[in-house]
Amino acid sequence: MRVSLFVTCLGDRFFANAAADAVRLLRSLDVEVDFPKDQTCCGQPAWNAGDVPEALRMATHTAEVFADADYVVLPSGSCTAMLRCTYPRLLEAPAVAERSYELAEFIVDVLEVTELGRGLEGRRLAYHHGCHALRELGLETQPVRLLESAGAGVVPWEMDQECCGFGGLFSVKNPEVSVAMADRKLDTLPDVETVVSADGGCLLQLDGRARHRGLPIRFKSLASVLWEARRGGS
Amino acid sequence: MEVHSGDYRARARRIIEETPEVREAVTAATRTFVEHRLEAFADLDEDALSHWAERVKSHALTHLADYLEEAEARLVERGAHVHWAESASDVHRILERIVRDNGVKKVVKAKSMLSEEVGLNPFLESCGVEVLETDLGEYIIQLFDEPPSHIVGPSIHRSLDDIRAIFHERLGTPRDASPERLAAAARELLRNAFLTAEMGISGGNFLVAETGSIALIENEGNIRLATSVPRIHVALIGIEKVLPKWDDLSIFLQVTAKSATGQPVGCFVSIIQGPGGSAAGEPDGPEELHVVLVDNGRSRLLADPEVWEALRCVRCGACLNICPVYRQTGGHAYGYVYSGPIGAILAPGLVGLEETLPLPFASTHCGACKDVCPVRIPIPDLLHVWRKRAVERGLTSGVERSVLGLWASVVTRPALFGLAEKVAGLIPDQVVRHLPMLREWSAGRELPRATGRTFRELWDEGIE
Amino acid sequence: MSRDARERILSRVRDANRDREPVSHPGPLPEAAEPPGPFTQAADAEVDGQTGVADPVDAFENRLRAAGGEVVRLADKAAVRAWLKEFASEFESVSVCKGVPQGLQPELAAAAPSEASLGVSLAVGAAAQTGSLLLSSREGRQAQLLPPVHLVWVRAQDVHTTLGEALQACREDLPATLALHSGPSKSADIGQILVTGVHGPGRIIAAILGADA
Repeated sequence: MRVSLFVTCLGDRFFANAAADAVRLLRSLDVEVDFPKDQTCCGQPAWNAGDVPEALRMATHTAEVFADADYVVLPSGSCTAMLRCTYPRLLEAPAVAERSYELAEFIVDVLEVTELGRGLEGRRLAYHHGCHALRELGLETQPVRLLESAGAGVVPWEMDQECCGFGGLFSVKNPEVSVAMADRKLDTLPDVETVVSADGGCLLQLDGRARHRGLPIRFKSLASVLWEARRGGS
Repeated sequence: MEVHSGDYRARARRIIEETPEVREAVTAATRTFVEHRLEAFADLDEDALSHWAERVKSHALTHLADYLEEAEARLVERGAHVHWAESASDVHRILERIVRDNGVKKVVKAKSMLSEEVGLNPFLESCGVEVLETDLGEYIIQLFDEPPSHIVGPSIHRSLDDIRAIFHERLGTPRDASPERLAAAARELLRNAFLTAEMGISGGNFLVAETGSIALIENEGNIRLATSVPRIHVALIGIEKVLPKWDDLSIFLQVTAKSATGQPVGCFVSIIQGPGGSAAGEPDGPEELHVVLVDNGRSRLLADPEVWEALRCVRCGACLNICPVYRQTGGHAYGYVYSGPIGAILAPGLVGLEETLPLPFASTHCGACKDVCPVRIPIPDLLHVWRKRAVERGLTSGVERSVLGLWASVVTRPALFGLAEKVAGLIPDQVVRHLPMLREWSAGRELPRATGRTFRELWDEGIE
Repeated sequence: MSRDARERILSRVRDANRDREPVSHPGPLPEAAEPPGPFTQAADAEVDGQTGVADPVDAFENRLRAAGGEVVRLADKAAVRAWLKEFASEFESVSVCKGVPQGLQPELAAAAPSEASLGVSLAVGAAAQTGSLLLSSREGRQAQLLPPVHLVWVRAQDVHTTLGEALQACREDLPATLALHSGPSKSADIGQILVTGVHGPGRIIAAILGADA
């Protein structure tokens, strides 16, 4: 089996190691990974801003880049939702839409793997559900299932499904409200050291606010934590 | 009412920074509503209910003219007066005539968002009429002289302490009065109003075409009183409130109550077919019933092929309750009678996009509202329509458009993208912090930290 | 004038729908999707530990009690007389709605609705699904609303299972106002704290008359 990795614009710059971990993880599951060099941005920032023509330009480019892929795997829930749910509204029957998967979704739903290893034994984590992953992709159980089967305790968090306040440009157009939303998430966290999420934007938002407030919480990409789950011994 | 939606960001900021207790009060109240709503729907087939309700409302809207005529005919048969108002000033003129013809000096009002929308209270007061809000939440905000901050609970942004203070000041209750004591004081004062007012004004939750019935849902009993005791009852009803059949009513009453507060149904429901009293051969009830059917931008919204579905709204407030953006500020930040997600899609349609521009952008597009709407309004999609139009009409900021245009140009040219990444990496944080947009980020958050090498570089080096 | 406004509004509404695909009415809600009576909801389990209640009168009682109402079941005329005498002893005066039979009227001094401590009604129906009493304006509304306590007589055979059925039964002969009372008046507008008896009656008692009552 061969997949094309779409690292995403945020991923390339801010989560490069996590994306590399995604590659390692997929290879360890006997999946060949290629990386089409011309990939850049899925167009979500423009779409969210209401700029449809620019979103279309970026979507057209991305759809071409991945036109021949059997599967496109992304370490990002929101970008996956863009490809799967929004591209069909922008483009004529884009093949890439049906073939795109978020990483955990791909592992559980396509590879049908639910146990990666026991590398997270004894870890206490909180999981932040990114809104696009949760509501557009219906990705509620797959990530937590993989974390728990690897020995992690995913600690109940009453606000785990509430939006972190990133929302793309919302974070800079309504920064006060955005920060208040991040604060509500951080202030209701259970006692954990690490918060895991499948979305880069969410991680930047929560990590950025936590560091500003001097909170000793670490934020990790799901991809990296799943690689730890696998690598830590099977 | 005056619209202040253009100031959304500044108003939101002021509420969060200067009155942080509002955020706490609104968050607590909305979380309770959300919990109760979940309990109420736990054993129900929510999908089946919402699909059915969506179809009934869409059917009503696509046959609206016929149903409005049918409702009017039924009401007139029973002796009601039916008036038609295209705009707020029409509503004013109609009310003014009724007031003058009947020497009305005092009005008791049941909660009506539509009456706020058309600025009715200030107008009546300018006619020399005393207007008393009788819904406890509305009465409280009337004391504070502020607009409602939530469709169902107008005063959820006010704490017990706030209310104790203003009741002490205006009604003379003790500073530490219990909620029961406060309610009793309001009850006594407003009871006298019910018994002496010449006119009661209400809104309408639903207008059933088949029987000409006006349905009103509540918990306090003030609507029952305001529509039963005074000699004249005026009901203001938006033309979109139509339900086709009598048999549709029972489900809509239940679904609306469950969506709003989690109750099986409101404590009191008034289903009004016509005037009472001698007009109907009954012992009491209003001698005159005036129904004012109000357009005020609704027909224009109905004509809009991309946004008309917003008119299915039953005003349950479920979208406000679940919205993570709304609960940081409450409704006053939105500067319009309808706030939260539904406000953000109605305001541009009823008032105009230019005057309400920030509202469709006052959302992270998280999608939670869509999950809870009992009539399946695709709120995130409608928010996006307004955003798209804002860009098309050149209403969004030049800086933003330039940045997005530049971004699109760079990302559709992969070689340029690689170069741009390298260049971006060279700009020191001190400078980045002050760039447009990133400046707003940095005020409360640390900048994202780029990893030492980009993924592309790691890939080229070979990933082990 | 309102006439012209009417023509313009209707004309705009017709134009708005002119090119739109009309949506047909879906007919009645599938029975499986009807909100259940208080058969399965938690509030009823708390009320008396029973679930799977099948009789509409039992279900109605559970639902109204869960909402803070009071319910008494009276099997025959003797039971009615005895209960009414004891119940009425708490009150100084009464306002009785038109049409309430003599045997169901408490022996108390009559007072105007705005003065009486008790109001008495005869319901035209009830619905178990929502715990609602259906009250007609033909009996007079003020006694249903102004006294702080409201006693509502309802015949067991008039208790329907669903709200839809209860409303259907009234369809052919609607009064000026048909009211549903489903619990005592309440509000949480004061700092989210629940208070009863805000404007309408703070106590509602449904007295259910058996066939022999």
